[in-house]
Amino acid sequence: MEILLQLIYSGIALGMIYAVIAFGYQLTFQTSDTLNFGQGDALMLGAMVGLTLVNIGVNYWLMLPLVIVFGLLQGAFVERIGVRPAIKIKSEFGWIMSTIALGIIFKNVAENVWGRDDLKFPSPLPESPLQVFGANVLPMEILVVVGAVLMMLAVEFFNRKTIYGKAVVATFNDRDAAKLMGINTGLVITFSYALSSATAGFAGALIAPLTLTGATMGAVLGLKAFAVAIIGGLTSGLGIIVGGIILGVAETTTGFYISTGYKDVPGLVLLLLVLAFKPSGLFGKTAIKKV
Amino acid sequence: MTNRFTKLASQVALASALFTLSGLASAADPIKIGVSGPFTGGSSSMGVSMRDGVRLAVDEINKSGGVIGRQLQIVERDDEAKNERGVQIAQEMINKEKVAATVGFINSGVALAAQRFYQEAKIPVMNNVATASVITHQFDDQPENYIFRNAAHDSIQAPMMVEEAITRRNFKKVAILADSTNYGQLGRADLEKALELKGIKAVAVEKFNIKDVDMTPQLLKAKAAGAEAVLTYAIGPELAQIANGMTKLGWKVPMVGSWTLSMANFIDNAGPGGEGARMPQTFIQEPTTPKRQSFIIAYLKTFNPKNARIDSPVSAAQGYDSVYLLAAAIKQANSVEGPKIRAALEDLKTPVDGVVTTYNKPFTAKDHDAITANIPVIGEVKGQRVVYAYEADLKKASEVRVKDVNAKGALAIKK
Repeated sequence: MEILLQLIYSGIALGMIYAVIAFGYQLTFQTSDTLNFGQGDALMLGAMVGLTLVNIGVNYWLMLPLVIVFGLLQGAFVERIGVRPAIKIKSEFGWIMSTIALGIIFKNVAENVWGRDDLKFPSPLPESPLQVFGANVLPMEILVVVGAVLMMLAVEFFNRKTIYGKAVVATFNDRDAAKLMGINTGLVITFSYALSSATAGFAGALIAPLTLTGATMGAVLGLKAFAVAIIGGLTSGLGIIVGGIILGVAETTTGFYISTGYKDVPGLVLLLLVLAFKPSGLFGKTAIKKV
Repeated sequence: MTNRFTKLASQVALASALFTLSGLASAADPIKIGVSGPFTGGSSSMGVSMRDGVRLAVDEINKSGGVIGRQLQIVERDDEAKNERGVQIAQEMINKEKVAATVGFINSGVALAAQRFYQEAKIPVMNNVATASVITHQFDDQPENYIFRNAAHDSIQAPMMVEEAITRRNFKKVAILADSTNYGQLGRADLEKALELKGIKAVAVEKFNIKDVDMTPQLLKAKAAGAEAVLTYAIGPELAQIANGMTKLGWKVPMVGSWTLSMANFIDNAGPGGEGARMPQTFIQEPTTPKRQSFIIAYLKTFNPKNARIDSPVSAAQGYDSVYLLAAAIKQANSVEGPKIRAALEDLKTPVDGVVTTYNKPFTAKDHDAITANIPVIGEVKGQRVVYAYEADLKKASEVRVKDVNAKGALAIKK
């Protein structure tokens, strides 16, 4: 029992790491039907910038808002350079290539600036574990879960309750109609990219003390997060959290009860099942696209 | 007219003079030595330390006049620990750079993929870090084998780890944690063999992928099986995640692993969780002999690593020694032709005074491994650096351990 609990704790912590990254995919999909495939690299940049700030003596908590600002700028840059031209010419796939390309460029830049070795991110909280119902949890893991949930709540609140958020939702529902209603849809899309990179950067600074920090940290995480976004549904914030936890717990429990060699399999089988039977994700709304 | 003629004549004379000069110059051209290793990525602390060791040795040799009257020139290429990059680099080194020999290879998979091209081209390779047992035996079926090694291979390391965990520290139950690469899985097989010789079976055998961030299931399995120690075969970053995972679970058992537990990126990332980890080492950064002392001083002065700690002392020392071994062979052969260098390596007349050991007849036609089971010692992570685990080893460290072909402890290598 204690073992199962431990596995679930670790699965949730791992799943929330995936979920915060997947959340970024959802943000841009909601406004422009496009995804930033450089999400993993935005996460890495956030962690690296965070590490640099911490190393020059900035307090960890003070560093987080700075990383968010950096993420906003980086995301806006990606949208202006990579996505806007593709949307303008109504290219279906241009943005895929350009966001991937930008992701690779960011990775290469990071390799040259920070080197390619994995670095240690000093933990702002004590590194000794806490006992919760007989199983161990690191304080940092709790911070990741709390931070991720808070961040998602903040964005959801923004989307539902504020006038600017409503503009975002309107842009998603019908870009042309929103435009006619006087919404600057271009700006809304730029903003959604900025927000998605900001969440990724924030997630990077949040998880870096748990994972190692390095130019290649984004690749595997970004891919797993993509699976989470598909499982949970690209249109549902709740789906992302649930999808993340499902994938995380599936990994840890399979690793323990079946074989560590197969730990990635059940999550990906689930991905295939979801794609086959409910392509919009477990919690996604099915959208009928009229052509 | 005459004027023109003399001009022409002088040009011809000049040209022919240049021609003969260039003919002569080819003898004084630098000797190219290839260096292939991962200078970036997860195993870069080994690759970079190896390269720096090589640079140091080449500098020293060139300052003292080079070899057979020619300077050494190194051609460095980053193989990124990728097999396919290693293959490309091998072809470039052979066909474009025309190296006389190549040193390097950190990753066993890269070595196995790339060295067949050197074998075909009859160019010697000195593996100075890669440890898979099969590396020097890949071409046993061919009359001439161009692959040499001056690193402690897995057939030595695995029994040493088992000896340390089972015999010296008396653990009855051990778990094996290995990564899913060639390195980890070949090492795991060697570990299982070595345990079997002691009549022991690991209580848990787990694996993980490069870049995995959570080791909870693997560690819980080891814990549930009642492991008293964890034997590891992986590289720095993931080893650090194992140590961090143990801290998190509040389950701290000793780690005994392959020599990669001495990597800086393990020690730094594991922090206090990595203290006490033990591993076989051919070289520990302690000035126990004059040669080692001068090597350490020169290395620290030239490359100035953080906290005066060589990132991977073993790689640096073996990289350094590999160049001296090659230089000795080229000198003896008085030639840069592959077959002659190979013949000289297999029959080195003068001992080579290296950092790891004094190489007295390090290779024979049948035996291309310079390191035998009696040479490595057990090191331990203590105060963020690797030190001798046993006082007795430190005391006797000034007596250089030389190759002993009858040394016990190595697994028999089957082809």
